Amino acid sequence: MSIAESIYLLMFSSGLLGGIGHCAGMCGPVVAAYTLGFRLPADDIRASSLPQLLYNAGRVTTYSVVGGIMGMTGSFAGVVTYIERFQNMTMAVVGGIMIVLGIASAGLISWRVHDAGSRVTAPVSGFISRVIQFVSQTHTPGSVYVIGMATGFIPCGLLYTAYIAAAGAGATAGHPAEGFLKGMAMLFLFGIGTTPALFFIGHMAARKGEWIRKRLYMLSSLMMTAIGVIFIYRAFRG
Amino acid sequence: MKKIIMILIAVLMLVSRPPRAHASDCDVDRGPCVAVTGRTEVTLDISPKPVKAMKELFFVVTVRGANVRGPLLLELSMPGMYMGRNEVALKRSPEGSFSGRGVIPRCPTGGKLWQADLTIPGTGRLTYRFHVDR
Repeated sequence: MSIAESIYLLMFSSGLLGGIGHCAGMCGPVVAAYTLGFRLPADDIRASSLPQLLYNAGRVTTYSVVGGIMGMTGSFAGVVTYIERFQNMTMAVVGGIMIVLGIASAGLISWRVHDAGSRVTAPVSGFISRVIQFVSQTHTPGSVYVIGMATGFIPCGLLYTAYIAAAGAGATAGHPAEGFLKGMAMLFLFGIGTTPALFFIGHMAARKGEWIRKRLYMLSSLMMTAIGVIFIYRAFRG
Repeated sequence: MKKIIMILIAVLMLVSRPPRAHASDCDVDRGPCVAVTGRTEVTLDISPKPVKAMKELFFVVTVRGANVRGPLLLELSMPGMYMGRNEVALKRSPEGSFSGRGVIPRCPTGGKLWQADLTIPGTGRLTYRFHVDR
């Protein structure tokens, strides 16, 4: 096996290992939250798998493009300076969405726009209900893919290491285009490697979601809200 | 309800806390980290100081008391948290030390302790632990 081939295999295995040892704990709550929020059908495996695949495809797309840019420039520190603020903003937005979904699934505010105003003041609940409706009831494949793309920007130490490797490979490439392709391929394989663990979490959340909602709905809602608060705290701490 | 909230807080603290704290071997912001194996003394220095995450860093290893052949490999990791494989290839400089460039990523959990494992062909493996500014 050539050195180039072993780098790609290493990226895939790093994603696979990291998916279990890192992503499941760090990004698992996000996957579980959007799965619970989307109320994916538990009995129809095909219907619940498609959004999971699209979500992961969106995430891998972001990784691949940013990895390509890292490879093209050959500089991790140079590129990350530009995307760091956007990453923190994404984390804050995802945290906000989790808080809204958590509060809504606890039944503290209404899911539907026409019910708004029953529990909190009308203008606020109207706005929040619209946000909830947008987040939770927009089930088109495109929207799931876009959510996946956005969450691909959440700051992550494991992902940074993969970007560092892509930038390193790009630095030794003969041409920026070659560096771009190398970086993109490396992050694509890394992202594919992380997919099984997150797919499994999403699938389990979809299957057990109804059970959790029926029995522990307040606990799961509070957890979702608290994790959202932690995300916002981490985003603003920098 | 109070019980549930207490359990929730405990679970969250467990999930969200930074990796288990380990003692650092040295203050890399003040000077090089030194490790000794047998009669060989190996120092690791990182610049620029203060050593910050997400910045390009320059790693210099100096080996005293052993004749090192071949390149050295420095692996960077975070104790208690899998962060992927982050390696710095160290090449021999004209002065006799080994140097290379690398980056220490930032962990969103807030962990600052990092570990550098240095593999020296024919001598063995040395470990350094140090804190990095976020």
